Amino acid sequence: MLLGKITIFLKYIFCLVWLVIAGYPFIFVFNTSLKERREFFTTSVWSSPESWQFQNYIEAVKAGFLRYFLNTGFVTFSAVILIVIIAAMASYVITRIEFKYSNLVFLIFVAGMMIPIHSTLIPVYRVTRTIGLYNTLTGLIGPYVAFGLPISVFILTGFMRDIPPQMEEAAIIDGASKFQIFTKIIFPLSRPAIFTVAIYNLVIFWNEFVYALILISSPGKWNITLGLWNFQGRYGTNIPMVMTGVIISAVPVIILYLFFQDQVIRGMTAGALKE
Amino acid sequence: MEKINSDKKRIINNILKSNGFFAFLFLLPAFFFFTLYLLAPIPLSGYYSLLRWSGVGEGVFIGLNNWSRLIRDSTFWLAVGNNFKLVFLSLLIQLPTALFLAVVLTSKIKLDKFFKTVYFFPMLLSTVAIGVIWGYIYNPNVGLLNNFLEAVGLEHLILDWLGSRRYAIYSTIVAICWRFVPFHMILYIAGIVGIPEQLYEAAEIDGANAWVSFRHITLPQLKTVIKNSVVLSIVGSLKIFAEIFVMTGGGPNHASEVMATYMYTTSFDSYRMGYGSTIAVSLFLIAFSVSLIFLYLTRKKQ
Amino acid sequence: MNKKIFIVSLILMFIFMFSLVEVEAFSLFDLFRRTETITLWDIRTPEDPARAAVEDAIARFEEDHDNIEIEHVPIQNDDYKTRLSVAAAADDEPDIFMTWGGGGLKNYVDEGMVYDITAYLEEDNWRDNFLDAAMNNSTFEGKTYGVPVTNVAPAVIWYREDMFAEYDLTPPETYEELLEIIEVFKENDIVPFTLANQNRWPGSMYYMYFVDRLAGPEVYRAAVSPDMAGSFTDEPFIEAGQMIRDLVEMDAFPAGLNAMNEDDGDSRTMLYTKDAGMYLMGSWAYSTIGMEDEITQEQLNFFPFPSIEGADGTTSGIVGTVGDNFYSVAEKCENKEMAVEFLRYLTDEKAKQELLAVGNIPPISGVADDLDDPMLQSIFRVVEEAESSQLWYDQDLPPEIAQVHLNQLQGLFGGDVTPEEKAQAMADAIEDYYAD
Repeated sequence: MLLGKITIFLKYIFCLVWLVIAGYPFIFVFNTSLKERREFFTTSVWSSPESWQFQNYIEAVKAGFLRYFLNTGFVTFSAVILIVIIAAMASYVITRIEFKYSNLVFLIFVAGMMIPIHSTLIPVYRVTRTIGLYNTLTGLIGPYVAFGLPISVFILTGFMRDIPPQMEEAAIIDGASKFQIFTKIIFPLSRPAIFTVAIYNLVIFWNEFVYALILISSPGKWNITLGLWNFQGRYGTNIPMVMTGVIISAVPVIILYLFFQDQVIRGMTAGALKE
Repeated sequence: MEKINSDKKRIINNILKSNGFFAFLFLLPAFFFFTLYLLAPIPLSGYYSLLRWSGVGEGVFIGLNNWSRLIRDSTFWLAVGNNFKLVFLSLLIQLPTALFLAVVLTSKIKLDKFFKTVYFFPMLLSTVAIGVIWGYIYNPNVGLLNNFLEAVGLEHLILDWLGSRRYAIYSTIVAICWRFVPFHMILYIAGIVGIPEQLYEAAEIDGANAWVSFRHITLPQLKTVIKNSVVLSIVGSLKIFAEIFVMTGGGPNHASEVMATYMYTTSFDSYRMGYGSTIAVSLFLIAFSVSLIFLYLTRKKQ
Repeated sequence: MNKKIFIVSLILMFIFMFSLVEVEAFSLFDLFRRTETITLWDIRTPEDPARAAVEDAIARFEEDHDNIEIEHVPIQNDDYKTRLSVAAAADDEPDIFMTWGGGGLKNYVDEGMVYDITAYLEEDNWRDNFLDAAMNNSTFEGKTYGVPVTNVAPAVIWYREDMFAEYDLTPPETYEELLEIIEVFKENDIVPFTLANQNRWPGSMYYMYFVDRLAGPEVYRAAVSPDMAGSFTDEPFIEAGQMIRDLVEMDAFPAGLNAMNEDDGDSRTMLYTKDAGMYLMGSWAYSTIGMEDEITQEQLNFFPFPSIEGADGTTSGIVGTVGDNFYSVAEKCENKEMAVEFLRYLTDEKAKQELLAVGNIPPISGVADDLDDPMLQSIFRVVEEAESSQLWYDQDLPPEIAQVHLNQLQGLFGGDVTPEEKAQAMADAIEDYYAD
């Protein structure tokens, strides 16, 4: 009993320590966002603001942050949904369908994970120019999906491989087609992994920078990161403004994360089916 | 005539129903994006790596000159070394921490949702913020870390964390681990959630304590997930770019350079697109072979 | 059936967002408009004070030229080079683009990407509008490839008058006097020079001034010339490196300078809190400091980099830019005539006034008469009276050598590179560059 209590106590201590490690920087960012530029430079960076000033937030909205929000939201939303469906389909084939090249296909995706993003810039720019999607937000979806695919397939195949075959076998006896097995059994059973992939890609796309930099040209189509960089100049950065943007842009991701994590946990019931 | 027709029909039908065709159909969308955006860079970079090319106009074909230069380039090997330091330290720090957090958060604990949200923060902050935050944590004069060390009487440990040649890379590694723990944590959470509750219940009846059930149920059940997270961690470490770039830019004087930052500055600051591509291709080859070796060694023995 | 509703709502959501964000791209209006577009890339993002001048020039140009539209693409400073090199590598450079002149521009000129505008400049004495020194950085082998639009900005040493008064200091004439000031500050536990060298270029200012004061601008020209008349292993370069080492060793700079970030203001903060006494920086510091801390700005003054007694170099030469942000026309531009015409709008009287209004001195002749701010006036006087002007090495050098220069200097400040090693690395890089 005593041992159990100590374990629980240690568990909470650890949780609290990590809470500080993970959360304190966020408080720092929030704190800084409430300061005036002058205040930030003339007082200690760690001090709390003289007064809670939401002026920066108003300015950020005026600087067009809502627009960047919408732009980013559109691209992220579309790309995440696409990637989840496409990656799940590919992973299903790799793990559950017997065909000659399944190992090769898997290897190609693994290879895709190794491609350094900066070596794709020139070809991606060319392709986007050619197909006429340059300076459109739609044009960002393709590269995002392509770049997120390998890692998503990798995570999903890992998970799907562990799904026991009995479930499928029962369905096959019932005369279900491969397509039905995918939509009715494998996809729902992969729920925890699918939401994990969705969270991961969501965060990456939401903060994506380099494709947006090279494929977007008008400020009205900037995403959040390009908008944030705008406060960063060669001869001086408006740090409180940057931090304000960081806070604003983090809020929707936090909300979505909470929702998605709930979905991951709800997979628990599905997980029980695995036996 | 009729027979041939019905034969044709049957063949077509067979094809339509065959695994191969189904696989093709289901892989089509993935390969569409893959081919359009991701396939070209490998051969293209391979070609560029044979050129002396500033990125404008026509390059000059110089054969394997870039490659022989790469082999003699001490900065490149320094960068490779740094990448591998990151690989090992990530495996050592990042994954165990993430696994522990995931286990704790999926055990019966109050406020788990709150913890889970806050623990995710490092990952969701944009890299712009990472540079500023860690810049101030490590700042030699007003930095949080040095202030803390001073406050607890460990003045002798005070360092110029990002500015010293010796420690810059380790300082960035700590920040990188901090940033990616949440990613592996959510992977593990998804894995743990998938473990059937009955296994634990059975163990509890047998009187197993937390450690035993972790050792004998959680770990074995998570084998695939752990294996995958190791691969992802290795690949992520070898490809790391943004975090290092915003914290040190690879400096001071290349001290915290990794392959990706070196490739980037070579291509876009020094305008040596040809040599930059050589670094890109080697990054690809190194990452691919390391992952393949790992996957091969840990393959399921049938 | 929940699922169907879910899928339908996802699709509706997509269409809704799509129509919100992509309206312009697919607007039919564009199809019927018969205008010609000239694309213009520069760094004038909404946060850039000089943006107004460019936007105004565009508006005026479009007003006068009904059928031409300028598509202005502003890109954040740090990413501009990446953006431009990707476009150039894909053979898709914009009609008009901005560079910082010097080696970066020359890189594009060498590949035949930039249109030669010499003839236009001679035509109606357009060239006379510009300060001579400014044009040097976009003129290669007698041909001019761009016009400077902004920023007459020499590096000078900034200080706070209240601090100088407190310790009874006066601006030094010679380096020896400067060393005395350093001693005074150190005795009072104040860091003599604030310096944030993570960005590498702030520290290079000391090096360039030392070389200039020790031996004048010619040694640099000789060291970088293709015939290799001189070398970076020549005495003045090694001595300049040694002088930096001496300053570092006498604690003239803050500890951990290589981890401090200039963009984030780590250097300037020390002036605001009176933790540091002096700040060697381009004259833009005046307006940057004004935005960050008005109290310091009121106390701010500067002196030119002092001369070194007995040395062969200059006493009043400046290091910095006499106009940067050069706007050039691409060889690929289909309407070069009009693109050049636009450059005239960008450098005319109205543009000059717009720039002056935000504290940016454009490199236009006779600009001195228009300066109201006494600080800007005295900055300009330093430029006018300078016996020579040296562009930042990292802008002047071919990009790949510039990187070696910056990295090696960072190592020199950090103590892991000796002056001789720096010199040798530079000489090797030059040799390498001309060998191919």
